[in-house]
Amino acid sequence: MSDYDVIVIGAGIGGLCAGALLAHQGRKVLVLEQAERVGGCCSTYELNGYRIDIGASIIEFPQVINWAFERMGTTFRKEVDLIAVDPTFTARLHDGTEITFPIDLEKTKEEIRKLAPEDVRGWEAYAKEMDGFLKAALDGFFVTPARSLWDVCKLFAKTPSLLKYGSLFFGSYEGVLRKHLKNEKLLEALSFHSFYCGLPPAILPGHFSMIPYAEHAGIYYARGGMIGIPLGFQKCGQRKGMEVRLNATVEKVLVENRTAKAVKLSDGTVISAKVIVSDINSKTFYTEMIDQNNLSWLARAGYKSYRYSMATPMIYLCLDYAPPLKDHHTLMTVPMQQMNDYWFDQYEKGRFPAEQFGILSWTTRSDPSLAPAGHHIIAVTLAPGPYRLVGTTWDKEKETIKQNVIKYLESKYLPGLRDHIVHADFSTPVDFERRLRSPEGAIYALRQDLTNAMMFRPSAKSKQIKRLYLVGASTHPGGGVPTVTASAMIASDLIAQYES
Amino acid sequence: MKAVRIIAVIAGCLVILYATLTKSRKQFIKNLLSQAPYLIPRYFT
Repeated sequence: MSDYDVIVIGAGIGGLCAGALLAHQGRKVLVLEQAERVGGCCSTYELNGYRIDIGASIIEFPQVINWAFERMGTTFRKEVDLIAVDPTFTARLHDGTEITFPIDLEKTKEEIRKLAPEDVRGWEAYAKEMDGFLKAALDGFFVTPARSLWDVCKLFAKTPSLLKYGSLFFGSYEGVLRKHLKNEKLLEALSFHSFYCGLPPAILPGHFSMIPYAEHAGIYYARGGMIGIPLGFQKCGQRKGMEVRLNATVEKVLVENRTAKAVKLSDGTVISAKVIVSDINSKTFYTEMIDQNNLSWLARAGYKSYRYSMATPMIYLCLDYAPPLKDHHTLMTVPMQQMNDYWFDQYEKGRFPAEQFGILSWTTRSDPSLAPAGHHIIAVTLAPGPYRLVGTTWDKEKETIKQNVIKYLESKYLPGLRDHIVHADFSTPVDFERRLRSPEGAIYALRQDLTNAMMFRPSAKSKQIKRLYLVGASTHPGGGVPTVTASAMIASDLIAQYES
Repeated sequence: MKAVRIIAVIAGCLVILYATLTKSRKQFIKNLLSQAPYLIPRYFT
């Protein structure tokens, strides 16, 4: 007799959504979280009256998240107070030029006409291609398992219109944009979105070039902080008896006869369950929390071969003035080739320069209640940060890097910034690893190129151990709030099918 | 001998084709090729 029907390891978006969906299947669910709060990368912490988002600063594809809530007889909007963000972003280019992308596609076209009249037709062609691809992808790709070649064949059979867009999968993000657009400034404005998936424009697969277009379907912020989204799933699960235990670190998953039986916590407690669901990085999970004798040599080689996704250092600024910005998201950009060169010449070689590109997320622009009256918060998402710095460590350099980056931001984007900082916190890749138990600070778990996608990404239903399932960024369809939600729907469907 | 010549011609064509690619296209291909040996083990995960 097991203690629970299901134990979920990790209360990130994937873990809480899977737990809630499984509770709604009538299962007795326990969610174990090592941190003191839920949400993982999509969470919010409080500091002297400021509510600061740890990672995610908006959500895209709200319809995918809504599907999960609908399965529980409710809606995203009923469970989470969503604030529509418009425009999607303003890009401040390296030469000081600004371009804004309103939600309305016609208005965006007018903005493009001002900056790059020669690319209006190209933008229309890009929008048309992405619109068709998104319709096909949303129809099946997001919530269909892709564990084997057979699954992938079935996926394409279910949505044959995806075949029309097959070339997107085999090209690069940069290639797709350059096919349609010629103006280097417009390309620069649209380049940083490739890092939303963890890779530079040159090597990110082309189908992700849908992201700048997809934002025009609407992007949202959760009132009170992004933690509102995981809390929404938690509330839904708790209505059906789901338990969430914080500060509970799982050390091992106990396996007998290649079947997951129980988890062992760091305090020695053993809790058994009929099914175990893991919402932690699957490479770490399989290489550190499972006895290696339970895995085939080929699978062991596979898990070891995965490369962690990039880490994103973040600076959280609490300010006593309204910063001179226009929108919730301001992208600080450099030319597309410079972003690629940064990846290969700096990031991969362990360097982290003060001259930065990234995102200024002015969250109090959308929700002033996050800070005391008249005060504001900017979460600065910096360029990808190498986990290992050449010749030094993040802990040694943390303060120097923070001050240098703040000086740079002041000189280029936020004049007078240093006179208005009430508090500045810097989360390095190492801090992310410590806070979130995210190895190497990897925000998308594993890299998201073709060699880590679909059937080549760790399977939602373990191929090695019975009654073990994966959710989260390190299984199909990958990293990001909506995709992680989709992974929870996939796992709960598989559990309903195989673990009745 | 004939087979060696055919392989050499194909390899030569591929080298010329690769040389004509843009820097970013080369980076895309290099990245995929560097990971290709892991596809089989990854399929079993």
